[in-house]
Amino acid sequence: MPAPPPLPPARRHALIDRMRRVRLPGLGQSILVPLLAVITALLVGAVIILVSGGNPVRAYEGLYEGSIGCPGALSGDAGIQVTRLVCASSVTDTLITATPFVIAGLAVAFAFKGGLFNIGVEGQLLAGSLATVLVGYKLDGLPAALHITLALAAGIAAGAVYGAIPGLLKAYTGAHEVIVTIMLNYVAGTMTSYLLSGVMKDPRSGAVARTPYIDTAARLPDVWPGPEMLHLGAVFAVLTAIGLWWVLQRTTIGYEVRTVGANPHAARYAGMSVARTVALTMAVAGGLAGMAGAIEVTGVNYYHTPGFSVGYGFDSIAIALLGRAHPVGVIPAALLFGALRGGSSRMQFLTQIPVDIIQVIQALVLLFVAAPAIVRWLYRVRQRPHTVIEERPEPAASV
Amino acid sequence: MIRGRFGAILAVIAACALLLGACGDDKKEDSGGSKPAGGASTSASGGKKLKVGLVTDVGKVDDKSFNQSAWEGVQRAQKELGADVKFIETTDPKDYAKNIETFANEKYDVIVTVGFGLGEATAAAAKKYPNIKFIGVDQFQAESVTNIAGLIFDEDKAGYLAGALAAQMSKSGTIGQVLGTDVVPPVVKFGKGYEAGAKAVKPEIKVLTWYHPGGLAKGFSDPEEGKKQALQMISQGADVIFGAGGNTGNGALLGCAEKNVLAIGVDTDQYLTLPQAQKVLVSSAMKLITPGVFDIIKGVQENSFKGGNFTGQVGLAPFHDLESQVSQAVKDKLKQIDAGLKDGSIKTNVKV
Amino acid sequence: MLDVIQSMLVVALPAATPLIFGGLSGLFSERSGVVNIAIEGMMLAAAFFGFIVGVRTGNLGLALGGAVVTGMVMASLHAVLSIAFRVDQIISGTVINVLAIGLTGYLDRKLYPSGAPAGQRTLPEIEIPLLSDIPFFGEILFRHGVIVYAAFVAVVVAAVVLYRTRWGLRVRAVGEHPLAAETAGISVYAVRYASVIAGGALAGLGGAYFTLQSIPQFQPLMTNGRGFIALAALIFGKWTPFGVLGAALFFAIAETIPSTLQIQGVHSIALEVAGTTLFDVAIPYQVFGLLPYVLTILVLAGAVGRAVPPAAVGQPYTRKA
Repeated sequence: MPAPPPLPPARRHALIDRMRRVRLPGLGQSILVPLLAVITALLVGAVIILVSGGNPVRAYEGLYEGSIGCPGALSGDAGIQVTRLVCASSVTDTLITATPFVIAGLAVAFAFKGGLFNIGVEGQLLAGSLATVLVGYKLDGLPAALHITLALAAGIAAGAVYGAIPGLLKAYTGAHEVIVTIMLNYVAGTMTSYLLSGVMKDPRSGAVARTPYIDTAARLPDVWPGPEMLHLGAVFAVLTAIGLWWVLQRTTIGYEVRTVGANPHAARYAGMSVARTVALTMAVAGGLAGMAGAIEVTGVNYYHTPGFSVGYGFDSIAIALLGRAHPVGVIPAALLFGALRGGSSRMQFLTQIPVDIIQVIQALVLLFVAAPAIVRWLYRVRQRPHTVIEERPEPAASV
Repeated sequence: MIRGRFGAILAVIAACALLLGACGDDKKEDSGGSKPAGGASTSASGGKKLKVGLVTDVGKVDDKSFNQSAWEGVQRAQKELGADVKFIETTDPKDYAKNIETFANEKYDVIVTVGFGLGEATAAAAKKYPNIKFIGVDQFQAESVTNIAGLIFDEDKAGYLAGALAAQMSKSGTIGQVLGTDVVPPVVKFGKGYEAGAKAVKPEIKVLTWYHPGGLAKGFSDPEEGKKQALQMISQGADVIFGAGGNTGNGALLGCAEKNVLAIGVDTDQYLTLPQAQKVLVSSAMKLITPGVFDIIKGVQENSFKGGNFTGQVGLAPFHDLESQVSQAVKDKLKQIDAGLKDGSIKTNVKV
Repeated sequence: MLDVIQSMLVVALPAATPLIFGGLSGLFSERSGVVNIAIEGMMLAAAFFGFIVGVRTGNLGLALGGAVVTGMVMASLHAVLSIAFRVDQIISGTVINVLAIGLTGYLDRKLYPSGAPAGQRTLPEIEIPLLSDIPFFGEILFRHGVIVYAAFVAVVVAAVVLYRTRWGLRVRAVGEHPLAAETAGISVYAVRYASVIAGGALAGLGGAYFTLQSIPQFQPLMTNGRGFIALAALIFGKWTPFGVLGAALFFAIAETIPSTLQIQGVHSIALEVAGTTLFDVAIPYQVFGLLPYVLTILVLAGAVGRAVPPAAVGQPYTRKA
């Protein structure tokens, strides 16, 4: 994301004058704009619902109740019930949904940092899930800590290998990672479908194509006791995001990844092995995607079934971009997507409008976050046509 | 200017607020519907307004396939029994339990879960909510639970009849079938039944078979691919094609319509659901989900609901426009096979 | 055997159509320096709105126009975002993809709660006189819908425009050396807008194939990843019109192989030499299903090698400010 260029001083003063009331220091700005972006997206979404004959107020009540509040907190007969504005079950549901989003988003974001476009999260996630579930149900009698570690490690390793394939091919043959990852997604999908209805199918599952349940020792423990279970994976997700940020910013490897991503020629001149770094970047990205699958298997489903990775490929790209490919920025982006997805069930229950509206809202959020100029224009800046022209960079710098 | 811009946004909000009026009514209507039912849940018998919720498998209630058929059954309950009905569409298999729970928390009387994939989630919910009646479409009950009715079908018999029809209508000696994913057992039962039925009346017939390799995610929603396979089969001489796999199968039927090749539909009488294929649609291998779902819901209303398996009806749809092309001999043969399947003297020998 | 091969090729040509249009759509956009991963979204939206126009007006010409205009509108959004607002081109493309999926899915359901109306026709199929009677090739090449022929015409037109016209030269210049082009008095922005929007029109035709030519129905997600395969075809074809054509045909034929094997009931691979069976391995049809994808990777890594994109698209995600 290119930062908006500075405005000419005179205009800048006029602008600051005008926006005095909402002027905020840097951090505030970087929170305010995305916040306004989300609000704007919800407003536009409301208009779409309205125009198509739905009831946006009801829809958003449902979205809120399904993701944060208790059922009926807003939509109930007794009016708004303040005591039920936050519900543990809804919040944990959002967090559980957001957990794989965080890690899968990181898989895309990390590749971005290395100058690679990883469309292959879906395939890598499936590879990881397969390996994890295999370790999870094949082994038994192990102590929990060991079994969990092995299961997760298997998933991460499988994802890393699956991610390394396009990385190595890119590095040593020049095969474009976009094509290879797309093809590998199809391969993983077909293989999963085949294995889970064949050799890996639980003989006791009757007609259902799924693996056996993993050993209880291989299941992630809950960090939130009580009936609203939140598994340890959520903690892993946050730690992974922070760890990845640290690796990128504070380690030599991270520096190499960023340099290769920003300018491979310069990296080569500086004596870095571009090929090795490219392969490594894809392997790490794949490992992260594999981890997302491993955590879903060990924390939520306890088995693996076809159709399991629905939409993760797309969502992870959007989440990485929403978080501006920043490892920590991915967390709020994933929470937002988790809340939208988590709340959609309740939304549909209340309004019976198609859940596809959630995707429209997601696209709009992404749009407004990616183009802050639109948001700024909507809420602050006066003479927009000039801004656009003046924000246009010098031709020399633009290309 | 600032105000102007915010004004525009305010106008939007105002528009939403305007709707609040309508929304208020909406709410009243809603609560009007739910209140008596909520109150009535204590008085289980007589004259209460039934609340029926439906959870789809990954798919939508307008899929022209089993989700839609089940939803139509629920809608019929709304019309004829005055039930309060709602649906939730599943987008991700891991939401099965949550979507069922949403209805359970609202004290729905009946929850219909569509598709064999929801079997386990339904069983778990039934244990947790013993006062709610569950209807599991395509969910075979290995052991009978008092509050789950599994609505199952002998798809192999419907497929058998379709195959017998196809083999008799074929002049080239080659027939085809374009099927949804073989991950789903009912689809396999249709397919194997079709082949068995065709071979039973014409042992030398060649049956071209294609399953969509895309699994649950794509198997039922790829009309383009379905059509392609039908065209390929037609090019190889197939002159009757059975399309069984949601919209993938519909694509095959449309391909037949384009090339003027006889087609057989699936699930419902597709003469009614797919008008573009009417001129070539000789029949459909029906699996009557809609009346099956409705009858069980009615059973709840009338307090005659029982747990266990309910086998819904299967059979061939009318020939409609092609009535005259089907000879009396063929009709008689089909009637004889149908009777044989019903009394058990003919077996499909299909095991899935 | 020959009739089996013929039947494969008969379906391969239509299957290649959206890939060709999609690839050409990306071609114009990327040759001018704007990465386009939004082909999928543009095609899906065009398939939907073209279909709606057809249903509402009953006029297939208008429907086709609707599809093309939809492609252009989506492309304009991509252009405005990535050129005027300088949004990262990948983000902009993703926005369009997600928006198209959500919007078409939502409106489809909202407008037609129990499925879209039927009775709509598709664009005519044309059997070219004489040529269509040629044995073997006649059925493969000369009995198709109008959009299928149009795809092949579009390849030739694209090649002529790109390599034989002033505008084509400008497009290539802007994609290769925008700085030099700007110095020579070419408006980089104008050329990019025009190229991206022209690409949108092509994607619109690709979308029209789905609902106006192939199946007279709209189905959510019906483009089924074709837009991404088209993107792959573009890269595979090394950003040239005939390269796109070749790659699209390669993908289309490769994807037909597994289904052909399945339909023929091939369940195993056996090698028999001089009357003794050396090996006979049962192979499930899903494994054959992997063939096109594995084949693509192998060809890409082995034979094709390094694909060199237009220079200015070389670091497509970091169009400098």
